[in-house]
Amino acid sequence: MSMLSVRDLVVTYATRAGPVRAVDGVDLDIPAGSITGLVGESGCGKSTLGRALMGVLPEAGKIAGGQIVFEGADLVALSPTARRAIAWRRLSFIPQTAMNALDPVQRLRAQMLEVLVERGGLGKAEALARASELFHLVGLDPIRLSDYPHQFSGGMRQRASIALALALEPALVIADEPVTALDVIVQRQVLDVMRNLQARLGLAMILVTHDIAVVAYACDRVAVMYAGRIVEAGPVADVLENPLHPYTMGLTHAFPDLYGDDMTLVPIDGTPPSLLHPPAGCRFAARCPFVQPRCADEPPVMTGDHQAACWRVDEAAELRALAATPATWLPK
Amino acid sequence: MRSASAILRFFRSEPFAVIGGAIYGAIVLVAIFADGLAPYPPKAILRVGARVARYLPMSADHWLGTTSSGRDVLSQLIWGTRAALAVGLTAAVAVVAIGTVLGLLSGYLGGWVDKIITWFADIVLGLPFLPSMLVLASLTRPGTLVVILSVAGLLWPNTARVIRAQVLSLRERAWVEAARVTGCSTGRIMFVHVLPQVLPLAALYGSVAIGWAILAEASASFLGFGDPDTMSWGVMLQEAYANQALSRGAWNWFAPPGAALMAMVLAGFLISRGSEKLLFPKLAEQ
Amino acid sequence: MTALIDATGLEKIFRSRGRDVAAVADVSLSVGAGEALGIVGESGCGKTTTARMLLRLEDPTAGRIIFDGTDITTLRGAALLKFRAQAQLVFQNPFDALNPRFTIRRALAEPLNNFGVPVSEHAERIDAVLHRVRLTPPAAWLDRRPHELSGGQLQRVVLARALIPGPKLIVADEPVSMLDVSVRAGILNLLREARDALGLAAVYISHDLALIRYVCERTMVMYLGRVVEEGPTKELIAKPAHPYTRALVAAVPVPHVTQDRAQLPIRGSLSDAASVGGCAFRGRCPHAMKICTDQAPPLRSITPTRQVACHLEGAML
Ligand SMILES: Nc1ncnc2c1ncn2[C@@H]1O[C@H](COP(=O)(O)OP(=O)(O)OP(=O)(O)O)[C@@H](O)[C@H]1O
Ligand SMILES: Nc1ncnc2c1ncn2[C@@H]1O[C@H](COP(=O)(O)OP(=O)(O)OP(=O)(O)O)[C@@H](O)[C@H]1O
Ligand code: SF4
Ligand code: SF4
Ligand SMILES: [Mg+2]
Ligand SMILES: [Mg+2]
Repeated sequence: MSMLSVRDLVVTYATRAGPVRAVDGVDLDIPAGSITGLVGESGCGKSTLGRALMGVLPEAGKIAGGQIVFEGADLVALSPTARRAIAWRRLSFIPQTAMNALDPVQRLRAQMLEVLVERGGLGKAEALARASELFHLVGLDPIRLSDYPHQFSGGMRQRASIALALALEPALVIADEPVTALDVIVQRQVLDVMRNLQARLGLAMILVTHDIAVVAYACDRVAVMYAGRIVEAGPVADVLENPLHPYTMGLTHAFPDLYGDDMTLVPIDGTPPSLLHPPAGCRFAARCPFVQPRCADEPPVMTGDHQAACWRVDEAAELRALAATPATWLPK
Repeated sequence: MRSASAILRFFRSEPFAVIGGAIYGAIVLVAIFADGLAPYPPKAILRVGARVARYLPMSADHWLGTTSSGRDVLSQLIWGTRAALAVGLTAAVAVVAIGTVLGLLSGYLGGWVDKIITWFADIVLGLPFLPSMLVLASLTRPGTLVVILSVAGLLWPNTARVIRAQVLSLRERAWVEAARVTGCSTGRIMFVHVLPQVLPLAALYGSVAIGWAILAEASASFLGFGDPDTMSWGVMLQEAYANQALSRGAWNWFAPPGAALMAMVLAGFLISRGSEKLLFPKLAEQ
Repeated sequence: MTALIDATGLEKIFRSRGRDVAAVADVSLSVGAGEALGIVGESGCGKTTTARMLLRLEDPTAGRIIFDGTDITTLRGAALLKFRAQAQLVFQNPFDALNPRFTIRRALAEPLNNFGVPVSEHAERIDAVLHRVRLTPPAAWLDRRPHELSGGQLQRVVLARALIPGPKLIVADEPVSMLDVSVRAGILNLLREARDALGLAAVYISHDLALIRYVCERTMVMYLGRVVEEGPTKELIAKPAHPYTRALVAAVPVPHVTQDRAQLPIRGSLSDAASVGGCAFRGRCPHAMKICTDQAPPLRSITPTRQVACHLEGAML
């Protein structure tokens, strides 16, 4: 059962050059109690999708179509007030720059209390107890509640933002690149905190990242985004071990591995298309080594649990074999 | 701020700055075409029959009337524009040149060079403008050169300060370090790599300095320290004052040069007002 | 083989707001021609400062650097210029590493001018270096400016600019961390190729041990301004000796579903670092002993090719 299902979501930004279709027809299902990784190149629309789900798009952005069905209610159709009520209680968002989003002139205790008392309606004493509990939960000493953010290291600030995001016991947490700026050891510690919380509290999480190793480490499911669309989605094991989409195949060969044989890394030549005038057919066509004439005309669609938006999904096994040879990816 | 295109965008997004720019533009055009525009030679003593045409009111022949010595006010105003602009531009170029070079040295080299320049700038900024200029003028031969020198000598710290701040942040850019790694000398980094980046900003400060310089020239002339042979707005005001134009109610004589001066200063103010947004975009967003 | 660059006892103390910060406390390293050394360690451990000292962009407060037989620690003027032509840097952020006003042609010609290469040779050398970084045909790129290029293309230009003076040493500080994953591989491959083809000595800095493994045979691990371990990259990953290296290796996620998810063998965080005397890692080390507080462990050889700075002995290492 999906707790969140997104259907044909379109988000545009108004710019001087015209509307940028940053999210353009996204379908996504988030099962309850799972961690879903959202990966993709810079600018493919990951943050935009996360913000649209939470209802915190920047001023220039708006939802131009589609549905976001969360626990049975279509958030897009709700009034802003009704929507905010749901968003505050049941959803939670950790923005991309969360580390720096904490208020620098307020002690963390005050920042926690603000959320717990004003939004959560708790009494002061109750809220204090809950704040300590939350700090404990993310592996911070509750004594540090009386510190200012600048007294924390980057990893500790990241933990504090996670504690804040969990304050009202959300059902779904959307974390935008929560570990990108962190050192590997701290990254691992923060990922462990998130995995433990998910297991203990049974919450669902969307973890935005561009590192597929992070997805492999921490996620149950993964959605691969490319130029405003989800091009492949499914359980992590299936997607990473048996990718169906040529873009995902390319990604798995573009990363160095800490162990394993001496492989040659293979870049994916070219750059993603402009979201101002996206191509009509498959968006990966210009970079895809397996492109066929029909790819350019008609956009492929996705079906099934492990799914990919590619016309040649049925030939995936053969394409994977081809994709494993570097020569396949040489610029045309 | 990147480059000239940023300046262009700035003018587009700042209506006040556009008005300021338009005033400057109009004044430049008048100065260039002064010969064609002025109906009479500025110093010609006009006559009505045999009598000198003193204190004529505004009329079709003399749009702004005549002075006590029978000269056409409009023609003087138009020629005065040229004088004003000549002084203004020269002084502004001097201000920008001194301010930019000192700001560049101070910001890029840092250390004791920075300390000395900053110290010197602070002292100059502390000097009251008009009295200092008058002291300078009284020590030497009065004239346009003194005006230009004192404007340049007293106004450069403002430019130097913003250029220094800009250079301080440019200095941290990786491409400046890259220039070092690829063998550029310090002088080359400063003048070939960094200087072009701050020129648009310098030009902006220059445009403000033009207004100041013109006002300074007028003040000096008005107080009798200017060059009496040039026909400038300040000289016009001084003559009007000396001939009691005010008490005679001959406002058609003193108001036009006064208004022209105010327009000039206003233009400088309008441009500089919006420039903060250009210099500190983050600040303006908040 | 004698080393191309040999640094001993490098130290850099920054004085900020009246307080001394030892960015680099004691680092020695040497890299031979055709060899690549990786430097890893957490943020703020002094990797960049070390690299900048090697390139004489920062003056060490102590220590000595011998480059190709000459002491370059205090070179100035023409001699420093001659050194610069032989030791080049690849920057982290390609979007900021090129003068936005310069065309690619001008960016590449500038080092040639500065290093006194006759103008008659410029066109040929620019052409050759653009071929090397695969920006072909060169004519299509020469008149562009940085804002017309993607991050990966810019990094190729940055690499070309570093290669064009014909250096013997290349230092790359996080050369792909700002790039999109799909183009990182291309840059890493170019770096590898250039080193092999030109016999360069290379120093790579990165947080990412997997990336270091891809480009460097030898790796040095830094912690708080000191070298804590050094050795062949693969051995170091397969059998890390220093407790910090063990945590570091264990923390790197791999792109496979089956992987070690056990608790990391480390306590606290960087802010729990011990202050003076003893081993700098003791506040976080699961094996800390009495001697670790009293005495700083010296860097010592545990095999002919490996060195470690830790008091642990024998099987514990
Ligand atoms: N406020 C905005 N106005 C106009 N366009 C925007 C705005 N924010 C984002 N965009 C554009 O929308 C697209 C998607 O941006 P988004 O930030 O969602 O990408 P992302 O996948 O999160 O990238 P990154 O990995 O760099 O964080 C990009 O092309 C971006 O340029
Ligand atoms: N110019 C400077 N003035 C004062 N302190 C400095 C300066 N440069 C670096 N430091 C300090 O020296 C230490 C080492 O910095 P360095 O940049 O070498 O670390 P790093 O290992 O490269 O880190 P990162 O992985 O974050 O790039 C840090 O504590 C830093 O704050
Ligand atoms: S639809 Fe065609 S172009 Fe697109 S990924 Fe599949 S094969 Fe490649
Ligand atoms: S010297 Fe002691 S504290 Fe330091 S790493 Fe070795 S065992 Fe740990
Ligand atoms: Mg983002
Ligand atoms: Mg660094």
